[in-house]
Amino acid sequence: MKIIAIIKKEYTQIVKKKSFLISTILTPVLMGAMLFVPVLLTKVGREAKIIQIADYSGSVAEELLGDQRSQRAGTDLKLEFTLIRPDPEQGRLLLEFDSQRPPSKDQGPRFSSRLQGIDDFTGSQPDEKEGTKLKLISEYRRKIIGKQADGLLLIPENLKNSRRVYFFALNVSDFALNDYLTSAVQKILSRQILTARGYDIQVVEEAIRDISMATFKVKKEGITKSTSGMDYMMSIFMLTILFMVIMLYGQLIMRGIIEEKNNRIVEVLISSTNSRTLFYGKIIGVGLAGFTQISIWVILAALAFSQSSLKIGEVMSGFFTVELGIYFVIFFLIGYYMYSIFFSIVGAAVNTDQEAQQYAGPIFTLLFIPFLIGIMVTQNPNSTVVLIASMFPLFTPTLMFMRISVAVPPLSQILISMGLSILTTLFLAWLGAKIFRTGILLYGKKPSIKEIARWIRYP
Amino acid sequence: MPDHALILNDLVKDFSGKRAVDGISIRLKKGEILGLLGPNGAGKTTTIRMIMNIIAPDSGTVQIFGKPFCEFHKNHIGYLPEERGLYRKLKVSETLDLFGKLKGMSTRRIAETGPALLKRFDLQDYAHKKVEELSKGMAQKLQFIITIMHSPDLLILDEPFAGLDPVNIELVREIILEKRKEGVSIIFSTHLMEYAEKIVDSVVMIHHGKKVLDGSLPAVKSSGGGHSIKVTYEGDARFVKTLDYIGRFKDFGKEMEIELRDVGYQDEFLKHLASRLSISRYEISEPSLTQIFMRKAKEDHGEK
Repeated sequence: MKIIAIIKKEYTQIVKKKSFLISTILTPVLMGAMLFVPVLLTKVGREAKIIQIADYSGSVAEELLGDQRSQRAGTDLKLEFTLIRPDPEQGRLLLEFDSQRPPSKDQGPRFSSRLQGIDDFTGSQPDEKEGTKLKLISEYRRKIIGKQADGLLLIPENLKNSRRVYFFALNVSDFALNDYLTSAVQKILSRQILTARGYDIQVVEEAIRDISMATFKVKKEGITKSTSGMDYMMSIFMLTILFMVIMLYGQLIMRGIIEEKNNRIVEVLISSTNSRTLFYGKIIGVGLAGFTQISIWVILAALAFSQSSLKIGEVMSGFFTVELGIYFVIFFLIGYYMYSIFFSIVGAAVNTDQEAQQYAGPIFTLLFIPFLIGIMVTQNPNSTVVLIASMFPLFTPTLMFMRISVAVPPLSQILISMGLSILTTLFLAWLGAKIFRTGILLYGKKPSIKEIARWIRYP
Repeated sequence: MPDHALILNDLVKDFSGKRAVDGISIRLKKGEILGLLGPNGAGKTTTIRMIMNIIAPDSGTVQIFGKPFCEFHKNHIGYLPEERGLYRKLKVSETLDLFGKLKGMSTRRIAETGPALLKRFDLQDYAHKKVEELSKGMAQKLQFIITIMHSPDLLILDEPFAGLDPVNIELVREIILEKRKEGVSIIFSTHLMEYAEKIVDSVVMIHHGKKVLDGSLPAVKSSGGGHSIKVTYEGDARFVKTLDYIGRFKDFGKEMEIELRDVGYQDEFLKHLASRLSISRYEISEPSLTQIFMRKAKEDHGEK
């Protein structure tokens, strides 16, 4: 069988390359680093944060300091509280500014440099005089920027009525910290109110205890403990693998064809076998090489997770199921063949790598769009937009796989999308072979789309 | 069985308005060598590509062993393209294996013929080297090996001597003749006509896409203008000009060059000379293919 000879040649030519070995080893290492390092950093590398508290109400800070020692053991936060002496005048100003509307934009240029960044607190009539009155905030602005303190917590005098505290920091999106600060203050306040009404402290403590939530993922084969962030990370991670492999091998096919075309090996090949055999042999050969690489990765991953004592191993083994693995392979194969046909059509139609890049641009775009839609998938995997997008054959391999990994859609949808994308792939293969046959033997000028369309019509 | 290995019938091919091949008809008898001659750009390679079905003719037909080109023929044709191409990253042995398989050879047959051919071409030490490590001449030889290794019945060689040194030209020529002995039909193109002269059975000359000459080598030689005769002599040779069968006559005093209108007048001419002059040398030289071609090209030009 001549096609076997071509498959073997394409396959061994890739697998024997040093770059194949290197990428097979390096990719999981890099991917692992990408995945584990941030997680480890948040666990290990959390440094104690210095939070300064200015308590104008005079009733919260002491307890907050006590809370720091007693009840925060369960969380990952490391905080260091220090109290600063509140200035009642500043407390009053603070409330005043908070209750005022934010300044309109056209007043911006009149702000003095010292007040920039605390615009919201300078109210609608900022001037030098007002600024100096808020000298605590100004002072802490410098300290925070100079990294002498991580944050400033202002507790206003009328906390009981306003139920509002103020936090100043470089980073205000540390949700664990934000949650802790608000709930700690809330608890202190509740405790004070209830004990003031004469409730027993035991009862009060019972009433204000924390509630935590464990998340479980419901799948057909059972329920697994899971965190939503992890699911998203994992499906993006697997999409990235899919994307990378398709890009890498698609381009490899494209380059290979351009090379054959340029050094006219193709004349010998075509005089020995037909273009269809050549075309399919190539795609299958390169595809098998990609499949080999993915298989090695899957095996490595399975080994790593089964050996791993890290908590993340558990989470991942909860995410990876045999079913998902099978879907991954199916969608990888469909996606791979679909896009490598695109790349080989480009390879056959053009004469140089530069021309190829121009034509390959739209293919990259097609591959990239699912990443953007992917965010929608994790938020609402069954919305109409996501449903339609995942049924679009060119996006199915990535988006349908992502939907399956986040929340398994009805089997009928999976099967229909698979069927559609397989049909599309077969159609593309048929189309590709026709374009390939003419393009591969045509040298010289870059063909127009119109000409390529004409090649398809040749008998 | 048809007695022609290859019949081209009135092939025409235009490239964006310019006629590259203009009504070429060629018949290659089985077991013969046909030289497809012509200068660069005459349409030789285009013709060969149409034979190989690489490009489709605008009109005209190609028949190989009595049938239009089909898949079946591919295992029985050896094609050496004008622009050589091999996979640079493959080893020599892998190259033989790949192209052997593509020509339908079994692994065993490749193992039998491959090494012997490498030895014949003095490439046996390079079997495990990559193609990119070979010199250009060696790669050329490897290309020739993969063209003939599946023992094709029809060899189509586009400029087989290009890029080879004289030793290897001799080797390739030797093998072409060997193949003819085995009964292989061969068509090869070259613009270096002196290489063709010694081995072809028949000749087709093309110029500007048109066939200007076609026939067996002796026929072409005799038809393509008279044989030229060189004579060294003593005496007065002016009478020669008056003889009515003399075509071209050049007198240098002690030497003259004559072309007769017909080869048949040779004896009469020699008698005439011997009776009037004292001759120290009489030499009949056949016109070279190059000369014939030059003349034909000129005539062609004159017609226009």
